[in-house]
Amino acid sequence: MTRKQLIFEKGYNALINNFTPEMDIKSIDFDTILPKSLQRNEEINLPDVPEFEIVRHYVNLAHKNYGVDSGIYPLGSCTMKYNPRINEVTARLSGFLKIHPLQEENDGAIELIYNLGQQLCEICGMDAFTLNPAAGAQGELTGILIIKKYFEIKGIKKDKIIVPDSAHGTNPATSAMAGFSIIEIKSDENGELPLDQLEFAMKGGDVAGLMLTNPNTVGVFDRNIDKITEIVHKYGGLCYYDGANLNPIMGIAKPGEMGFDIIHLNLHKTFSTPHGGGGPGAGPVGVKKDLINYLPCPQVIKNERGLACVENEGESIGRIRSFWGNFGVLVKAYTYILALGKNGIKNAAQNSVLNANYIRTQIKHKFTIPYDRINMHEFLVDANLPNGVNSEDVAKALLDRGIHAPTIYFPLIIHEAMLIEPTETENKRELDKFIEAMLEIYEEAEKNPEYLKKGPYNTEIGRLDATLAARKPCLRD
Amino acid sequence: MDYVPHDLETIRIMLEKIGVENLDDLYVDIPNNLKIKQLNLPEGLSESDLLKNLTELSEKNHIYNTSFLGAGSYYHYIPSLVDSIISQSQFFTAYTPYQAEISQGMLQSIYEYQSAISRLTEMDITNASMYDCASALAEAATMAFFVTKKKKILLIEGIHPEYIETVQTYCWGRSIETETIPLDELDNKLTDEIAGVLIQSPNFFGDIEDISQVAKKIRSKTKKCLLIQAMSDPTCLGKLNPPGKNDVDIFVAEGVGMHPSFGGPNLGILSVKKKYMRKMPGRLIGLTKELHGEKEGYVLTLQAREQHIRREKALSNICSNQALIMIASLVYLVSLGKTGLKNVAMQNFQKANHVKQALSQISGYKVLNTKPTYNEFIVKCPNINKLIKKCKDDNILPPLKLSHYFPDRKDEILICVTEMNSKEDINKFLQIAKEAAQ
Repeated sequence: MTRKQLIFEKGYNALINNFTPEMDIKSIDFDTILPKSLQRNEEINLPDVPEFEIVRHYVNLAHKNYGVDSGIYPLGSCTMKYNPRINEVTARLSGFLKIHPLQEENDGAIELIYNLGQQLCEICGMDAFTLNPAAGAQGELTGILIIKKYFEIKGIKKDKIIVPDSAHGTNPATSAMAGFSIIEIKSDENGELPLDQLEFAMKGGDVAGLMLTNPNTVGVFDRNIDKITEIVHKYGGLCYYDGANLNPIMGIAKPGEMGFDIIHLNLHKTFSTPHGGGGPGAGPVGVKKDLINYLPCPQVIKNERGLACVENEGESIGRIRSFWGNFGVLVKAYTYILALGKNGIKNAAQNSVLNANYIRTQIKHKFTIPYDRINMHEFLVDANLPNGVNSEDVAKALLDRGIHAPTIYFPLIIHEAMLIEPTETENKRELDKFIEAMLEIYEEAEKNPEYLKKGPYNTEIGRLDATLAARKPCLRD
Repeated sequence: MDYVPHDLETIRIMLEKIGVENLDDLYVDIPNNLKIKQLNLPEGLSESDLLKNLTELSEKNHIYNTSFLGAGSYYHYIPSLVDSIISQSQFFTAYTPYQAEISQGMLQSIYEYQSAISRLTEMDITNASMYDCASALAEAATMAFFVTKKKKILLIEGIHPEYIETVQTYCWGRSIETETIPLDELDNKLTDEIAGVLIQSPNFFGDIEDISQVAKKIRSKTKKCLLIQAMSDPTCLGKLNPPGKNDVDIFVAEGVGMHPSFGGPNLGILSVKKKYMRKMPGRLIGLTKELHGEKEGYVLTLQAREQHIRREKALSNICSNQALIMIASLVYLVSLGKTGLKNVAMQNFQKANHVKQALSQISGYKVLNTKPTYNEFIVKCPNINKLIKKCKDDNILPPLKLSHYFPDRKDEILICVTEMNSKEDINKFLQIAKEAAQ
């Protein structure tokens, strides 16, 4: 066998573990509880594996995984900052972990949801937040459905959304989920949104809104931002802020003051909650006053009697998942914001920009930087190296040096895109190690390109055949 | 405390290398009129103060000695190794495994999860998880639309009210029509214009539906219509006929192995028949081989379905899912193993049905389920408020008042009994029920 053993191959055919409480009541004849025709006939095809073997199996698997704790994780647009351990402790306090979503004695949870919403309003310049969305993409869906509802209730037909060509793939995908079609606008040579084209598109009269990431996915802050939102509003559209890149501007500027009407955040990016290998995240959505009624239900509001939970009062877009969202994630983000406070938040933002620009200026004499000015928390490299060495080759060469690769092949507007975001929690030694590795790889591309094209060599496994995986899918054992 | 490592001297050196004088110079692109003076938030806290603050807040929530509340979130015993494994920092501090060569641990775990759930459900293919059962059901409805190109979904009464509302929200987004009907009207409503039939079993009220009969009906009356089954608590599969044996096209469920945590995070299971593999949303992990070697390993695959490639033509915008919870569910399943899962299911069946029988013998109480039930059932009570109050007085989390979701059903409760309820808990509850009837 050329693959590692699966957990299913480590089992025995008998009960070994003993986790379940003793059966302490008298049994009823099972056939009278459940007719035979509804019973499971065959054994579940899962082995009985002794506890210690399970632990060892997964601890070994974990050791084959690279996390933020292993080293720098400069994945652009993902904000892989340190995940403070206190957050893990607070989310596991039994008063949070063990409470039922439908129990009435939930004052602490409701207060936390309200307080976190208020903090996010202050940071973003919005008037209300829903914390229900389970991830950034679900936050986007929530935001776009709010736009749909807004026009539906006003009785105005608008069925298009503008996104720049540098947008995250989720923006167009989300718009389609709300029945909107897309107008894509090509970014200009500065990586910014051309105002004349925006105005031209808005003049059509059928545009419901604009989705924009700012700083955008090429890492620069769009200097025309207030003009952009003004144009959209002039033609009756709404401005949606994709908060994936909020990290460098928190405490510096507020999307709400830039003219944005709706914003989603990624608590698992900006607010330090762990990515968990792909979730759970949380994607809160903030809105301006006029849109509060459309927020999904349930919501926590403050009235004269204190905090109250409200359900759909008629204009809400409805429910987008069950209960209160990924509450455990909210506890972590709340802990983080309390830890940082007003100065820490700004300091985190500034240092994320410092770190990104430090790397940029130390590799720009070799690497092509398409938008070479002061960037925000991330910057884009066109990793078209000598002798046909490409972005993927550079990524794999970084892995060989024990470093996680940046985001590659995104955004789509640069062919060999490599988006580098170190975050503020990396120290200078780690940044220097990354810089050194990048320069070394460049030199290697000049001297020995064939070697780079077949890497990595020092990892658990070599470069894998993605085409084969898709052509002959083997998705289970 | 901001977790920024640099001292002032380091910052000075770095600024010099960048070619600017101070940190504020890094923000030349932001128009001055947009820059704020300061956030109106308190100063940061030390870790010890954080813990104190959050502990106090958590203590404003009440933790009961025992619970008879379910309704979509269940108390089951979770082996200690589950939390230990999801606390492995290389799992929880990793991103989605884009760089396969240094993410084999996560990738293999997802592959094992996909396999374990497929084995449990007897379905062909399972994805790497959705957010929760409600949104998974909504995405399944959308999938039925993509498969059949029909724009109407039938929901069978008895689906969790919050799932129904979620399906309605998603379907409204794509202009898919929904109609909620009682099961016995399915015959009349089934036409070739229906994209999918959504049914929950065991349903919100506890009833176990005969899914194979529903499947037969759908097959006999329509050509393309998909059968989609939802489930709130898949621990029942230890004893219950799995969806894969009942000709179910798409199966969705809430995950296992997590504490309630006020409703999240948990995860949404989504499993399908093989023929719908390329129409399913979410991440999928596949086995493949090295390009320049013989070793086998795992990668994210069939990505052509997903938003980062297909953009507005994608079936869904989902990217991040609930990966860490997926590991919790996987470890829960393998920890219990086939024997443990059977035991848990059996205990839930036995204990809940014991309480059901006992309550039906107390004068004034009437069990309303006419079909078999797993760990939940509904009961009409003689004095519901007295019952709820007495439970709370005895530190028991009371059953759900159905009026929470159905305002007209004022004297009915939904009771949940699991393996976590000991004989003493059960007797206490029955005693309270008796007293509340007097």
